[in-house]
Amino acid sequence: MNGKMTDLMNIVKEAEIIDDPAVIESFAHGYRGDVPMRPMFMVKPKNTDEVQKIVRWANETCTPLVPVSSGAPHLRGGTVPTAPGSVIVDLSGMDRIVKVDRRNRLALIEPGVTYTTLGPELKRHGLRIAMPLLPRKNKSVLTSLLEREPVVSPRYQWNMMEPLRALEIIWGNGDKFYSGGGVFRGEKEEDWKRGLVPVWGPGPGQLDFYKFVSAAQGSMGIVTWASVKCEVYPECRKLFFVPADRLEEAIEFVYLLLRYRFGDELFLMNKSCLAYVHARNADELESVKDTLPSWAVVVGITGGHILSKDRVEAREKDIRDIARGFGLKFIPQLRSLSGKEFGERIMRPCEEPYWKSRYSGEVQEVFFLTTLDRTPGFVAAMNEEADGLEYPAERIGVYLQPVHQGVGCHCEFIIPFDPDSRMDTRKTEELIRKSSLRLSDQGAFFSRPYGIWADMVYDRDAGTKTATKKIKEIFDPNNVMNPGKLCF
Amino acid sequence: MALPANVYKDLEDIVGSRNISGDPAVLDSYRYSLAHTAIHLGPFFDTFTPRGACVLLPGSTEEVRAIVELCNKHKIKFKASSTFWSAQGFPSEDDTIQLDMRRMDRILDIDKKNMFAVIEPGVIGATLQAEVMKVGLNTHIPGSGCSCSTLASATSYFGSGPSNLYGGWHYDNLLGLEWVMPTGEILRTGSLGQGCGWFCGEGPGPSMKGVARGFLGSKGSMGVYTKCAIKLFAWPGPECLPVEGTIPAYRTPLPDNFKAYTVAFPSWKAWADAAYAIWDAGIGYLAHRQFNMFGRDLKFAMVKILTDPTKTLSDLEELLADPEVQEITEQSKREFQIILVGMTKRDIEWQKKAFDEILERTGGWKVEAMDEPHIHDWVLLYMIRLGHKNLNLVFGGGYDGCFGLLGAADYGASNAEEAALFKKKWEKRGAIVDAGGDCMMGPIGGQGGGGTCLWENFTCFDSADRESTEGTFEFFDACTRFGLEKGWGVGMEKWNAVARGPDGKTTSKKKRDTIHLGSPQPSVFRYQHRVREAFNPNDLGDAYYETLDDT
Repeated sequence: MNGKMTDLMNIVKEAEIIDDPAVIESFAHGYRGDVPMRPMFMVKPKNTDEVQKIVRWANETCTPLVPVSSGAPHLRGGTVPTAPGSVIVDLSGMDRIVKVDRRNRLALIEPGVTYTTLGPELKRHGLRIAMPLLPRKNKSVLTSLLEREPVVSPRYQWNMMEPLRALEIIWGNGDKFYSGGGVFRGEKEEDWKRGLVPVWGPGPGQLDFYKFVSAAQGSMGIVTWASVKCEVYPECRKLFFVPADRLEEAIEFVYLLLRYRFGDELFLMNKSCLAYVHARNADELESVKDTLPSWAVVVGITGGHILSKDRVEAREKDIRDIARGFGLKFIPQLRSLSGKEFGERIMRPCEEPYWKSRYSGEVQEVFFLTTLDRTPGFVAAMNEEADGLEYPAERIGVYLQPVHQGVGCHCEFIIPFDPDSRMDTRKTEELIRKSSLRLSDQGAFFSRPYGIWADMVYDRDAGTKTATKKIKEIFDPNNVMNPGKLCF
Repeated sequence: MALPANVYKDLEDIVGSRNISGDPAVLDSYRYSLAHTAIHLGPFFDTFTPRGACVLLPGSTEEVRAIVELCNKHKIKFKASSTFWSAQGFPSEDDTIQLDMRRMDRILDIDKKNMFAVIEPGVIGATLQAEVMKVGLNTHIPGSGCSCSTLASATSYFGSGPSNLYGGWHYDNLLGLEWVMPTGEILRTGSLGQGCGWFCGEGPGPSMKGVARGFLGSKGSMGVYTKCAIKLFAWPGPECLPVEGTIPAYRTPLPDNFKAYTVAFPSWKAWADAAYAIWDAGIGYLAHRQFNMFGRDLKFAMVKILTDPTKTLSDLEELLADPEVQEITEQSKREFQIILVGMTKRDIEWQKKAFDEILERTGGWKVEAMDEPHIHDWVLLYMIRLGHKNLNLVFGGGYDGCFGLLGAADYGASNAEEAALFKKKWEKRGAIVDAGGDCMMGPIGGQGGGGTCLWENFTCFDSADRESTEGTFEFFDACTRFGLEKGWGVGMEKWNAVARGPDGKTTSKKKRDTIHLGSPQPSVFRYQHRVREAFNPNDLGDAYYETLDDT
């Protein structure tokens, strides 16, 4: 046990401190060009006070902290220590659902709350949360929202931070702070009745504090609680597919649905991606894939809590008419793929194995923001890059998720590889590197710059890099929060 | 103090001689009264904001950048404004250079598919709305009305209005932003900074758009915003709003997929229940408690006057005595307006049925008198266009808002009657218009999808009357005391007073510090101070960017 560990144990007496080599080693995997560093040890705080003490201790001792909320595996490298002597701050034990308020459709959650635990609790109150596509079972809801992971229901996203609202933050300098309406955190039941609730996300004041911790990979501070906006749990729901031979055929249809805000869940996938979601293993996957169309739009319709069936019926007829207008079919079953089953599946976290890893055991992703009309160009570019490297392009899953009510689109390439094959691994790494550069040159906006993307984006935009560093200097002047990430 | 001749010459070289003035007569036209939201000027209240050092009309981002760099070189304060809404758009320090952004008034792009427009500061809501309607889209118009700059509303102040509910408030709608920062450097946020287009304002990584604006903007105190992209939303109506009628009773007959209702409730609890149910159901295109700004006792009589070109304000007394008007006034005490818009026939039919179901469940009712065709179509035009801001001043030439309760529907609803009763007692003293105490108006849905409301209590008075003017200020002082006593905080009647004192100039630091230290979280202002130090090292803005020194 080293001296720092003893010091910290004396400060946070209740927190669990772990230096089990197996646990520590699990965080030391390199990722997309990051040089992996073995963390010193891991601390598991149980409450905000302990988190604040840990951050203050880190400032006094110049110890790098790497916050982690989700369970393993960590796919994007945000939790790989990139500074020597780091301490992992594992927040998974802070897993209370502090409050669910049906009337204001708010839930107050700690960072360790996963989609697996939150979903059933919200349902009990007649609520649900707009979810990302098939998150891992142990995925922290708060991390997902902080990292601006797209959700499958773009119609509920009035801004890119939705459904995240107020936060409690321990900044890198050790200050505790409430962003948005967080000062009204409803500690008294009476406050909830009077409407003094953390319903606002922006501000307070003239800065947008929660935006400084968003997509920051834990480099600005540690969020210890958040209020999130929920949706009504629908009494009635249906899910349909709109198959298309070419992506371009489906895009205009999707644009009209986005404009009308028809379709509660709305996204596009190529057949590989559909198969990855649908199949349970690699064998099943190949047979399923051959039966699927090249592209499909997935459209969910929900009925809310008032005249639920009437709403679903009206929407179904309208969307069918719209599809017909584009010469497309609007169908509840896509060969062996049932809309009902698919709908139920995407409303829950993913069953093991994780859907993106089902083909070859491991996966890399390339994702960015763009507009929907530009996606065919990016798909073509990715396919060309894959062909050039003799990576089988038909393996690449493409997931297109409109965001912010259709103003933008998350474009994601899911690239499976066999970790036991050195050639496959090397080829995949090369594909990630080359395609990222090409797509970026072509106008892809890597808004969440993990790993090698960080240098790529910050080198392109000196103004943003300078401003981001100034903000970092204010909130984490000693650079103790996950150093080495982004441009810090 | 006039600008040194060499500085004036350098500025003239940047914008050209036609776009600069140091003429005292011109500079005086760029001054304003101290009111928070409206004009209080009259013979008994004539305190103006300070006169600027000169006024400039830049024509491009490069010109703005050059001006700001020159200001930094000579340590001269500057303040930009586009449509000059309220005293906040005017300097509070002597010898400030004023930038009038009206020449930069181009709509640079309308991206029909991806539903956004790229605009300059001088583009007003009315122009943008007219242009985007041609392609089946609409823009959110904030409560300040369609004559105000869309960019200013989205970047620099608040940006809330009747279409928050469906269209999102302008906080939601601000996408890529071009910002000449206080040092003269240019920051382009989100996808714009990467050369990927205007569609996203956030990132890469932590979003620097969060420096440009938070819940509120920096009110012209932190550089100049020169272009931005604004998110739009569907307009399933005609390419041009058809307008019929005679002033002031203009109205717009729209197709059957548009339906305006005024609905009322037996209690504030029921009113709030309906708001929550509407948000839960996801119905409604615009929702606002609008005409209550005329006052609980006067609103229907005023609607009768404003929808009948043969009537004038002098008919008010007679109308108020009409039993039918009295009955409708009584039944619409706790009301709001909502406009349902269907994207298809089935959509509007479902929304109407769902809305009827909500009224059934909450005990609410439709105010049938507001469904008369000429009133219905007048309401549509009023709410969609927000072009009637002159009516804020209709009673006596002076108005301002007070209280401004902001939060969940239950918050305002549980305090509304108390705020109304307080005002009603003051109305009886005679200085302010006796309108029924409850003149509260504001959005049903303070942000996209609902969840919050704003309750601004309109206070109308005669700005040409000493007793009325002085009595109004006395009332506002009482509102502030009452708000603090009730735990509501300082109301909007004094929001302006944090930065600017009664002489029109910057409030003393001591006073500002006292206010900020008394806030629920003083560190908000400490962090704003640090951000100002980092991004505006020469402190060339004014105290409207609220800061508290580190202690």
